[in-house]
Amino acid sequence: MIKPQVHSILAVVWLFVIAVLSIVIAGKEVKFSSSIFLLLPESDQSVLIRHAGDQISKDFSKRLVLLLSGPDEAHVRNTVEILTEKLSAIEDTAEVFWRIDEAAASGINEALFDYRFAVLTPETRARLLDADYATISEQALRRIYSLLSIGQNSILDDPFALYSPTRWVAEGRLNYEISNSLLKVTGVEQPTYLMLLKLVGEPFEPDVQRRILDIIQGVESDPDITIEKSGMLLHAAAGARQASAEISTIGLGSIVGIIVLVLVVFRRIKPLGLMFIPISVGYFVAAIVTSLVFEEVHLVTLAFGAGLVGVSIDYALHFLCERRVLLSHQILPRLLPGLMLGLFSSVMAYAAQALAPFPGLRQMAVFSVTGLIAAWLTVVLWFPWLTRKQSIQPLVLAQKFALLRQKFPVLPVSKVSVSVCSVLILLAVMTLYSAAGIDDVRLLQTSPRSLVVEDQKVSNALGVPSSTQFILVRSKALEASLQKEEQLIPYLEALKRAGLLSGFQAISSVLPSLNRQDENLGMVSALYGYRLHDLLAQLKLADEKIEDAFNSFDVLQAHRLTPEAWNELEISTQWKNFIVSSDKGDIASLIRLSGLKSGQGREQLMALIDADADLLFVDQIQNNTDLLTRFRIEISRWVALAFLLIFSVLVFRYKQQVWRIVLPPLMASILTLALLVQIEQGINLFHIMALILVLGIGLDMGIFLAETDGSSHTWLAVSLSCVTSLMAFGLLALSKTPVLHHFGITVLLGLSLVWLLVIAMRAGQNDEAKI
Amino acid sequence: MIRSFLVIAVLFSSPAFSEVSFERLAAISETPDSLEGRFVQEKYLKVLEAGLVSSGVFSYKKGEHLRWETLEPISNKLVLTPTSVVTKQDEKELVALPAGASTVTSVLSEILFSVLTANWNNLSKYFELSGDVDNGSWRVELLPTDVTIAAAISKIELSGETLLQKIILYEKQGDSTTIEFFDQQQ
Repeated sequence: MIKPQVHSILAVVWLFVIAVLSIVIAGKEVKFSSSIFLLLPESDQSVLIRHAGDQISKDFSKRLVLLLSGPDEAHVRNTVEILTEKLSAIEDTAEVFWRIDEAAASGINEALFDYRFAVLTPETRARLLDADYATISEQALRRIYSLLSIGQNSILDDPFALYSPTRWVAEGRLNYEISNSLLKVTGVEQPTYLMLLKLVGEPFEPDVQRRILDIIQGVESDPDITIEKSGMLLHAAAGARQASAEISTIGLGSIVGIIVLVLVVFRRIKPLGLMFIPISVGYFVAAIVTSLVFEEVHLVTLAFGAGLVGVSIDYALHFLCERRVLLSHQILPRLLPGLMLGLFSSVMAYAAQALAPFPGLRQMAVFSVTGLIAAWLTVVLWFPWLTRKQSIQPLVLAQKFALLRQKFPVLPVSKVSVSVCSVLILLAVMTLYSAAGIDDVRLLQTSPRSLVVEDQKVSNALGVPSSTQFILVRSKALEASLQKEEQLIPYLEALKRAGLLSGFQAISSVLPSLNRQDENLGMVSALYGYRLHDLLAQLKLADEKIEDAFNSFDVLQAHRLTPEAWNELEISTQWKNFIVSSDKGDIASLIRLSGLKSGQGREQLMALIDADADLLFVDQIQNNTDLLTRFRIEISRWVALAFLLIFSVLVFRYKQQVWRIVLPPLMASILTLALLVQIEQGINLFHIMALILVLGIGLDMGIFLAETDGSSHTWLAVSLSCVTSLMAFGLLALSKTPVLHHFGITVLLGLSLVWLLVIAMRAGQNDEAKI
Repeated sequence: MIRSFLVIAVLFSSPAFSEVSFERLAAISETPDSLEGRFVQEKYLKVLEAGLVSSGVFSYKKGEHLRWETLEPISNKLVLTPTSVVTKQDEKELVALPAGASTVTSVLSEILFSVLTANWNNLSKYFELSGDVDNGSWRVELLPTDVTIAAAISKIELSGETLLQKIILYEKQGDSTTIEFFDQQQ
């Protein structure tokens, strides 16, 4: 086959390639991403959705909300100041929002006051549209005489009380009021104050989490202070805690298990080291190539790609076991066909993902295929040299295992066994056919219950709107979006009145379209013309004062709140997430919804949205769920196709014996899926991903065994790779993190079944013959 | 039942007690379970030459509500509860300010409720108290310590004999409101 010199050259070339890749990657900044949108197929419309979703989630993930409460108000206020000082002192905090200076607040008021004629409350506007001037005048009088009309603006500047400061603030703001400069939460029993912390970077860094949480815990030890918290940082910290706890139990368990197993089988340390070389090279090359091919590497790719590359342990173990009975120069000619077919089948199964129209799956395919090939090349090119000094020395355990195996009955090829298998498969397929997918992302929620409850409590107290559902109003210019919003809002109000929607936030409520502002100014002008003189004369104002009131309007009658002027206002920062734009100049405003009732509410809303091509309803939770569903279906489809292809190739080489190779992994897969439907109430993407691993290892087993006619050392090798994979991934079934648990339990069931089936369907007559 | 809205007069009749504090007021005053009467309100706005006079009736029920009904020159009904402010017109609720409505208005309703029901403890959160007592009549001056309130109100003066008789509220920008009570009955 390959001449020794050529082999040596190739081995050096491979080393060289790895070195070059390392140098390339050292000079490149690798960007990691966790944005779910990166996994979605790209289209024109999704750019805006992605921006909108990313903006919201980025803001959300960097924010930590703290509510401090206690029986003694002065003490709570004091604690807010102390905590702010401590948190501001560390470099992880970009900003702590905890007070509003009264001067600044009145500054905001002054800035907005000038727009009182152009930006009207919905009530005033409705009355003006009806030309209901009598009610407006009456209200104005009532206000002037009212017990509560203190601190109002001059009756000359705003005789009809068109300016509504509460509304400007209340529209976009949380439930708090400014109490002696601090932010006091309203509508709660104990004095409660709000602090908003903004992080500099992402909340996933353990050091950041520790520094911030340590400070907060220090204050929490005060028995008179209760702190309620909400923010991604807490979930990330809880996740990290769980992960590190699991690493030190499950992770440690599996590593120790693998090490002990390999030591027991080989009675040496060297094979252990050798085993890890191809896997490490595989991960390394896969990560580099993926980051070179793609702009950003998604964290999901790393996690699952890593799992899939794990199949490469097959090659190393197969080589190491056979090396005990074959000399260095004999081994490759003997193993190469099997190794090649094994690689081919796994690469086919993984590469199938690349054909699916999702960038996320493509990334995963690139990662796992390159990782697998790199590991394979490492075994084939380096192992002969790395093991050159080793003498022939059959493994004791191979013999013992062979004896044990002989006691295990071979499934006879008979009508009975074929029928039993058929019935089993039929039952499994029927179970699968009736089963539903469980793709709801919320089921993947990993945070402890108490954290979710606390989150909910904080959101309720502050009146935070749901950030997962919104309407995108697309156009070429902001003005057009705002006008469209204004047309849509009456319908949303109707949904609200019908109890199908609990609320919404739209930027056009504080920044009306210029068109609407012109309309408002015109109507106010009419109101002044008809009623102002009468109203002020009734209050016995002198004529020159009345003149002043008219002048006050005249000065501002063309004063509109333009988007430019809006951006200058401090209040606009609260609304910046409501406008998104793409590089192509498309723009969209978004209306955030809260409490949309499923069923009727959703149907009626969708009817509205579907009627206009510029409107788009986005439900982020639903989107993610849909994404998982689509991934699951696409992967299943392509893997099935890949399996057919692999089958047709294997038929060429193994003729009638092909069923021994193909049937165990196939049956194991179907049975595992059916069992999962029973145990886990359904199948999701992560089950399927794990199943690819099972298929890969299962096919390798069949191929390697067929190639060596079931020699004892091959049996030992494939069993060993099965058990090590069970330890590495199957133990994840114990994980409390749903995604890992799903992956683990599938591997556990799948590999156990594959192993049993491979043994049961072995060609029994060869049991004694080979070593 | 002590016959007073703000029972101060008798106990404060000697000059020795002329130093007033929230604690002392709280110690000797007791809020009646209910109270009703007439009021006359006069607003002095800077831009007006004469004051704007209005009048009406009020009633109070401890811990429940304070109804404030303006009858002349325009009818307007205001219901303050410890947690909300509702304006009523022809028995229709017009403006409902829930307790969480923020801004000066909600604080203001809290202050008025406290002033009219002599909840000194609550007032001490927002004001500093000074005043004097003389021959059965008393006068208390409230200066805001809370910046939010100070932005709107510069001073409140309360005065009375056996009952609270007069409130003068000075606004920051120079306007003022005087409220006088008549025919008060428990």
